[in-house]
Amino acid sequence: MKNPNRKRKIISYLVITFSALIMLTPFVAAALNSLKSYTQYTAIPVEWIPNPFKWENYIEVWRMTDFAQYGWNSLVVTVLSVLGALFSCSMVAYAFARLEFPFKNSLFVMVLGTLMIPPVVMIIPQFIIFKNMGFLDTLVPLWILEWLAQPFGVFLMRQAFLSIPKSYEEAAKLDGCSPFQTYWRIFLPMCKPQLATLTIFTFMTKWNEIMAPVIYLSSEEKFTLPIGVLSMSGAWFGKEQYLVAAALMTLIPILIVFLFTEKFFVRGASSSGLK
Amino acid sequence: MAGKWLKISVLIMAFAFILTGCSDESGGEAGTNSDQTEITLGFYSSGSADEKMNELIQKFEEEHPDIKVKTQNAPYQQFFQKLDTQIAGGTAPDVWLSDGVFVQKYAERGAAKDLTEWINEDLEKDEYYGLDFNKDSDGKYWGVPQGIQIGALFYNKDMFDQAGVEYPDESWTWEDLKEAGAKLTIDTDGMKADDASFKPDSVKQYGLTFFNITEGWMPVMKSYGGGVLGEDLRNSIIDSEENKEAINYIVDGMERGIFTDPSDLQAFQSPMSPFPSETAAMRIGIYARTLAANETGVNYDVTVLPKGPDGERFSPTIANSWVISESASDEKAKAAWEWVKYWVQEDEVQKEWAALGEAVPVKKSVANSELFLESGDKPANKQAFLDSFEHAGTLDVNAVWSEWVKKFGDNINRAFLNETSVEEALENADEEVQKVLDEFYENQ
Repeated sequence: MKNPNRKRKIISYLVITFSALIMLTPFVAAALNSLKSYTQYTAIPVEWIPNPFKWENYIEVWRMTDFAQYGWNSLVVTVLSVLGALFSCSMVAYAFARLEFPFKNSLFVMVLGTLMIPPVVMIIPQFIIFKNMGFLDTLVPLWILEWLAQPFGVFLMRQAFLSIPKSYEEAAKLDGCSPFQTYWRIFLPMCKPQLATLTIFTFMTKWNEIMAPVIYLSSEEKFTLPIGVLSMSGAWFGKEQYLVAAALMTLIPILIVFLFTEKFFVRGASSSGLK
Repeated sequence: MAGKWLKISVLIMAFAFILTGCSDESGGEAGTNSDQTEITLGFYSSGSADEKMNELIQKFEEEHPDIKVKTQNAPYQQFFQKLDTQIAGGTAPDVWLSDGVFVQKYAERGAAKDLTEWINEDLEKDEYYGLDFNKDSDGKYWGVPQGIQIGALFYNKDMFDQAGVEYPDESWTWEDLKEAGAKLTIDTDGMKADDASFKPDSVKQYGLTFFNITEGWMPVMKSYGGGVLGEDLRNSIIDSEENKEAINYIVDGMERGIFTDPSDLQAFQSPMSPFPSETAAMRIGIYARTLAANETGVNYDVTVLPKGPDGERFSPTIANSWVISESASDEKAKAAWEWVKYWVQEDEVQKEWAALGEAVPVKKSVANSELFLESGDKPANKQAFLDSFEHAGTLDVNAVWSEWVKKFGDNINRAFLNETSVEEALENADEEVQKVLDEFYENQ
């Protein structure tokens, strides 16, 4: 009885380790590339191990760009976006999941419908609106939209709320809770995994976003990290290794956020969040 | 409870607006007084060159106290996305740096200002390289060159020495290049391209690296007497005998493993790397390619590009240019013109920019001076770039350049990869490119 189980375990660990290694390869390759000189970076056949390890590439990146400033801008945009997404999406989702009002279903279909409009189509109208509001060359256009309940988040949170039995709501009502209080004190705490999912998704998209910052920002001191990193590459120079180093550094915050929310994230994917 | 949290979120929003919003607008305005003209200047970043650009702008402001320059820059590709959005939204910069291949796009869509009068009045046309590359068929000028990229043949001296092949010179035809290239192509067993047991699938060292338009098919086709667009730039002339001959020449080179084909290039970290990493003995390269080659310390030099079968030569040229916005007010446009003049006329500016080694200087006197020709690093024969101007031509640039290049490239790559015959690729390309042209010009 014990033996086949053990065997199965060993095999599955081997498979897991093997696939983890495959997944890790690009990261390792990138990390190694970031420590090479340009000559080594372009060498053919590929020289995998940098010789010597050029740790100073990372210092050079700090010297070449205003990394700290860009990072701060990115952080402001991302944190405000995450707060906005959590707050607005869950509120709207609660309304769609639990409240009764006219045209509820058609409105929800409309919300989902907007998911199908490619973002490129909306750029020029959005640009003109933000221009008229005087938000060009400020960070506002980069986070404000997240406070207006984006459809993906609404959908995600609505599914989560729908799976909560009606009896919770009724019990709360009997205890004298208003709809907002029910939402805030009963429903939200039960949906932490989905909130964590939304946090990670929003954080990642906003942190990596290129299009919107490029279009709305003009002054260098307001740039976010992705533009800052791309700007340093230039069209002509043989300096791609610095670009890789910079890209790796911008990954760090995402890793941190993931580590902090992972606990919920994994649970969110595997169970409905109800015990 | 509920009320408290609503209040908090409103507070966060309000705080966020202050933090990220128009907070420094008042500060920015304080510096300008009423007799100062403020212009916005857009340019695409090119790494460390940005610093120099900002320095030059500062000097310009010192010399023109009545003009204040606000800059807008972004990475190359994103810069043009942004510019298109800005033009649509009516907030284009007053003057911007355009890749040479896009000038006509802005001109024919009414976004660029016609500079003919100003150029005639203020510039001695013979003193500059590349002015005519921004001229349309009606003789109007739409931009003033900021720096010139012109194609030449780069060759690795060490590899030529090793193979015992004579360095290329201006007598070379494309056939000579292939012949020499065969001796410089080595497979993993050390066999050369002319050897019977040579394996073209496992090449270790290529004769020539071949990269898309400017540094690939365009110069070959043109020097064979072909090309992509007719003189009026509104008709495709792709399906011609000359082009067939040129493309057959290229495909043969790729099949024999002497030239890199598009799939070979994908195997490298960057499609630009075969020459600087000494995997290819030759490349067709614009001036800016000297930067990467110098970075890796390759022992190389340049010469003019080879001739076609009828002795015709063609050097692809891109004049990256300053363009003034059509929607800029008269006052701003004039201030922007001051900047353009400052850029091309001032020797100091030309010299400082030339020192970056990014482009051939626009001003002939500076380009022909020691500063450019003798500037420390390789290549020794910088004169070859200047000589190339005699055979210089554009990349058949018109308003829909990017669109037709994509159609042509997709088709021709199929021929390069042996997925279709040369005849078929050219026929298809001809049809598709003509469609792109018709769609734009018939609605004009």
